[in-house]
Amino acid sequence: MSTNIFWQESPIGKTERQKLLNQKGCVVWITGLSGSGKSTLACSLSRELYTRGKLSYILDGDNLRHGLNKDLGFKAEDRVENIRRVGEVAKLFADAGLICIASLISPYRKDRDACKPFTFRLFSLKNILFDVYMNMSLQLCEARDPKGLYKLARAGKIKGFTGIDDPYESPLNCEIELKEKEGECPSPVAMAEEVIAYLEAKGFLQNQ
Amino acid sequence: MEGLAIRASRPSIICSLPGLDGGSQRLPLSDGFLRLPTSSYAADKPKLVAKSASLHPISAVNVSAQASLTADFPALSETNVKEERINGDKNKPENIVWHESSICRCDRQQLLQQKGCVIWITGLSGSGKSTVACALSKALFERGKLTYTLDGDNVRHGLNRDLTFKAEDRTENIRRIGEVAKLFADVGVICIASLISPYRRDRDECRSLLPEGDFVEVFMDVPLSVCESRDPKGLYKLARAGKIKGFTGIDDPYEAPLNCEVVLKHTGDDDSCSPRQMAEHIISYLQNKGYLEG
Repeated sequence: MSTNIFWQESPIGKTERQKLLNQKGCVVWITGLSGSGKSTLACSLSRELYTRGKLSYILDGDNLRHGLNKDLGFKAEDRVENIRRVGEVAKLFADAGLICIASLISPYRKDRDACKPFTFRLFSLKNILFDVYMNMSLQLCEARDPKGLYKLARAGKIKGFTGIDDPYESPLNCEIELKEKEGECPSPVAMAEEVIAYLEAKGFLQNQ
Repeated sequence: MEGLAIRASRPSIICSLPGLDGGSQRLPLSDGFLRLPTSSYAADKPKLVAKSASLHPISAVNVSAQASLTADFPALSETNVKEERINGDKNKPENIVWHESSICRCDRQQLLQQKGCVIWITGLSGSGKSTVACALSKALFERGKLTYTLDGDNVRHGLNRDLTFKAEDRTENIRRIGEVAKLFADVGVICIASLISPYRRDRDECRSLLPEGDFVEVFMDVPLSVCESRDPKGLYKLARAGKIKGFTGIDDPYEAPLNCEVVLKHTGDDDSCSPRQMAEHIISYLQNKGYLEG
């Protein structure tokens, strides 16, 4: 009889969410030295996407460290775990259909690359995670020193600071590389437009 | 000639303004901008009504005729521009509200036409948490609302794969899920967290992460006997046989919420309380609290 019939609703998945949002979920992973302009680009990119009616969210190394990653420090193994967790959250965001902008120094190649081939719920991040490398010179970054950290590092008050006494391993193979042109850094909007052009070409911003 | 340029994210916007062809639909130029001459509105202080063909935000900026327009200007929400008046001063239009340059939570809410929150479904294994989460997600999708479900199973294989079932790891499991749910709520997503989460203290900690009202605790109030008779994953059987230790409800406590927002009580009558009906109950709560509008 009807009381014994149990209807299992088919679950709402990534395809349905992408249709609702009119975009495809992906992860834009911005990497580079402190002061290279990652957060500025993330902000500009998020704004430009918004004016096109696209939903994005910034996962920033700094704000995550006060929430999800507040139990982690800056030791090597904690940095690895920091990146791992951010990668896992970014995957969830992409599965939700969002354009997730991860903006963190992420200095070690092995840890950035570890996020990519991992298979999660039958889909791989391989074709939806894009590295954007802020290839700005240490000189430029240090001259900006927006948080005063290079000064402290040079004075020996911070140890293991990326670029000064801890290495930054630049990507060997990134999707987008942004760098100074004739000694001048492009504007945040120009750089955001470049990332958007790439996402557009790959079909992430078209109507689903 | 100076004027106002309006850019839409969609190809056409509707603009009504005296002297502007009676307010018919106008198409922007190839650069995506629709230009309106100042002379058409200088004298009469008319009301500029501009709205895009979709709900997507449009942007407005005061320009000189020679200005080459780029995307480098702040975004306005549709509702702000609708009500703006352009006064006669070409150089200083008043009452145009410029947004901050970073996109904030309310911008996203406007885009999604919903408010982010966390629906925390708690209860014994077999009480129907996943079933209700699924029905809720589907019912909200049918209303055009974006949700995402976090459950113990999918998170344990990803974010929380380094955690075991020891007491301190269980607490950390809940904490991390709470933090991620908070991020989703900040995006504007209605995040459904569906986990046993047996300890009151851990659930209350997650509640404290979110602004007042954004944590909606849903208690699946189903007797142990009913859950055990369902035993959808065969875990009660294993626990009774002593093959699983510390299984909630058998040899580990479940602390029911003392004061939660929604209680879904098992009535024993499947016809009056289907998963869809339980989902609608939660949706009524969300509707009343304003979470289903921007």
